[in-house]
Amino acid sequence: MTAAAAAIEVRSLSKDYASSAGPVQALQKIDFDVPQGAFVSIVGPSGCGKSTLLQILAGLLSSSSGQVSVGGTAVTGPAPGKISVVFQDATLMPWKTAMDNVLFPLEIQRIPERERIRRAEHYLRLVGLENEVQRFPHQLSGGMKQRVSIARGLAQEPQIVLMDEPFGALDEQNRIKMGHELLRIWEATGKTILLVTHSLTEAIFLSDTVIVMAPNPGRILEQLVIDLPRPRMYDVIGSPAFGNIRNRLWRMIEIEPAEDEAMSTAPAL
Amino acid sequence: MRFRVHAVQAIFLACFLAVWEFATRIGNVDPNVLPAFSTVLRTLAELVRTDAFLSNAAVTTTRVLLAFIIGAPLAILAGFYVGERAALNARLAQPLNVLVAVPQSMLLPMFILIFGVGNVQKVVFGVTHIFFVLMLTTIAAVQSVPVNLVVAGRSFGATSTEIYRRIYLIAMLPLLVSGLRLAIIFDVIGILLAEMYASQSGIGFLMMRWGDDYRMKEMMAAVLLISAATIGFNEMMRLWETRLSAHAGSST
Amino acid sequence: MMRKLLAALAILAVWEGVVRLGLVNPIILASPSGIGSALVIDGVPFLHAFRVTVTSIAIALLASWSIGVGTGLIVGATAFSYAAFGPILSSLFAIPLIVWYPMLIVWAGIGPESKILFAVISSLIPVALNTAAGVRQIDARYEQFGRSVGAATRTIYLRILLPFALPSILAGLRIGTALAVAGVIVGEMLASTDGIGFWISYHRTVYNTGHVYLGMLLAIACVLIANAVLSHLERRFGAWRLDELANIAPA
Repeated sequence: MTAAAAAIEVRSLSKDYASSAGPVQALQKIDFDVPQGAFVSIVGPSGCGKSTLLQILAGLLSSSSGQVSVGGTAVTGPAPGKISVVFQDATLMPWKTAMDNVLFPLEIQRIPERERIRRAEHYLRLVGLENEVQRFPHQLSGGMKQRVSIARGLAQEPQIVLMDEPFGALDEQNRIKMGHELLRIWEATGKTILLVTHSLTEAIFLSDTVIVMAPNPGRILEQLVIDLPRPRMYDVIGSPAFGNIRNRLWRMIEIEPAEDEAMSTAPAL
Repeated sequence: MRFRVHAVQAIFLACFLAVWEFATRIGNVDPNVLPAFSTVLRTLAELVRTDAFLSNAAVTTTRVLLAFIIGAPLAILAGFYVGERAALNARLAQPLNVLVAVPQSMLLPMFILIFGVGNVQKVVFGVTHIFFVLMLTTIAAVQSVPVNLVVAGRSFGATSTEIYRRIYLIAMLPLLVSGLRLAIIFDVIGILLAEMYASQSGIGFLMMRWGDDYRMKEMMAAVLLISAATIGFNEMMRLWETRLSAHAGSST
Repeated sequence: MMRKLLAALAILAVWEGVVRLGLVNPIILASPSGIGSALVIDGVPFLHAFRVTVTSIAIALLASWSIGVGTGLIVGATAFSYAAFGPILSSLFAIPLIVWYPMLIVWAGIGPESKILFAVISSLIPVALNTAAGVRQIDARYEQFGRSVGAATRTIYLRILLPFALPSILAGLRIGTALAVAGVIVGEMLASTDGIGFWISYHRTVYNTGHVYLGMLLAIACVLIANAVLSHLERRFGAWRLDELANIAPA
């Protein structure tokens, strides 16, 4: 893999499926690249196909046409150890402790025991949960559960981390906190991160590039490079530069301000 | 989807009845061993006109109702008493759960030793079937009242009895009704068992006697009637429970 | 521990005294020594009866657990099948199954077969219902999670999906087992020539109260032990489940 090769390459990706209302084109000729080590967000309203796209990238769903390659090789199925997925709602196994949850995929992937434990401890510490490793999910807050999920994804030491609305279930305060955390983790690990969200604010704040999608059919409206300096602090959200970018993307999607606020302030679990 | 669900259920029921009906006619099943559905229905129609059946049914029903009238208030009062005293409840929780885990049917011979084989024994047996289930459900009902309901009531200046009636009771009704439903079903089971085991009257006794005489038609007719009655009763109570839940949920 | 032991001994002593002193009619209540002597006198026939009953219970459990869990898996597999057949199962649960017993005797005779059939019918529905409810608790998104980390299909089903259903399934097995034990013993009481139920019944007619209580204690012990074992398993595999289903064993 040369340094210049993109981490993710998507060419002319389409996905159709049949529904009771006739054939639906969930994705139409999707084209984009994600460079190595980049943080890219995909944003768009419900039904624009962003989650479908993520599932195809993760190898969990097949495409109808087009090519997807990750790290130079075509995606034909899940690629544990290369691609890891952080799901909405954490998806932790409630009968296992935080530590055991992080260990589980490593066990499946036949990582030797010593190494498993080393990694689990390392990444749980990285996400700030070193004191909660023996707790069960029902003893953890929504934000903590999601951090365990992130630790679990990172512990598999993939090339790419795909995140599907990871902060959707958190309230606004926690979303901001977790956003900061995620940037810190990203800078510490240098992974390539592709994050799906319906919050414009979150997408712009976190990413190098924002890909904007629209529904019916699911397609890319624009790929905007975010020119804001790093490291990004929360107050950048109030800056005029941020506002301009946001307005521009708004107009593209034609989302009402109220709706965007509602979308970025989900009720806490 | 609801339409499809009911359609599938109706088809299932129809298939079941069809198989039952034609098992004797087309299959190799002996009609004396498994009478057809239509035969059983006809037998049932005749049965409900016979004095013997009606008088025995009356006896069973009387016992069931008597046990209920005696047992239910006792159980509910006991449930309230224990449910409201957290310390007492905590100490009784384990022994009560053990008691409920043991199916009381097995204890019938003990009841006969103590009470003999008369009506008293049967009614008492029914009462015990009702008692523990209903008491435990009442305790759960008392504990299920959301604390904020009571606090809200107090903040409006409600007196104790008002709090009781309007807030507590309404919030508890769904669980109480479900307890009553279970209690009656267990009551019927207990009374029927007692009648089968040692009795000279009642539906249970009739069933055993028909069994001795190999009168399958009558037995199945009675089973059909009892099944329909208990299922009907169960569904009505459940509808009531659901309506009460909705009401309880909305009354704050 | 010592306190419990002493308390138990005290209860036994009071019990013995109450009967010996004639405060309670010895026909109604057997003393601990009366029960003990029954065991000593008729130990061999008692153990034989016990063996007969336990064999019937074991066969009934094997059948009802496998048929019940299998049915529950099918009924719970999709939201539609659960919506369609779940209510049918729970409606059937309302029927006092005891009324089936005379018919079963006609069909299967008064040997152990009718008892086993009755026990199976009695315990089938709670096992199936709770299994179906357990399957419905399985979160399908976890299947995707399993695939994304590279788990084989069997691993996904056994180690990721099944544990969601396990607490419910175990609750169903617990309730069903109590009903099966009661079914066999009550069946033996009503019409049989052998087994603990018959033992209890027969000795009641000749007023051997000690024998009656011996049999009943054994029956109760069987239920309690099965209940304890299954409860323990339920707690071990279901501790994470904070919302408990209300589960009460019917008579």
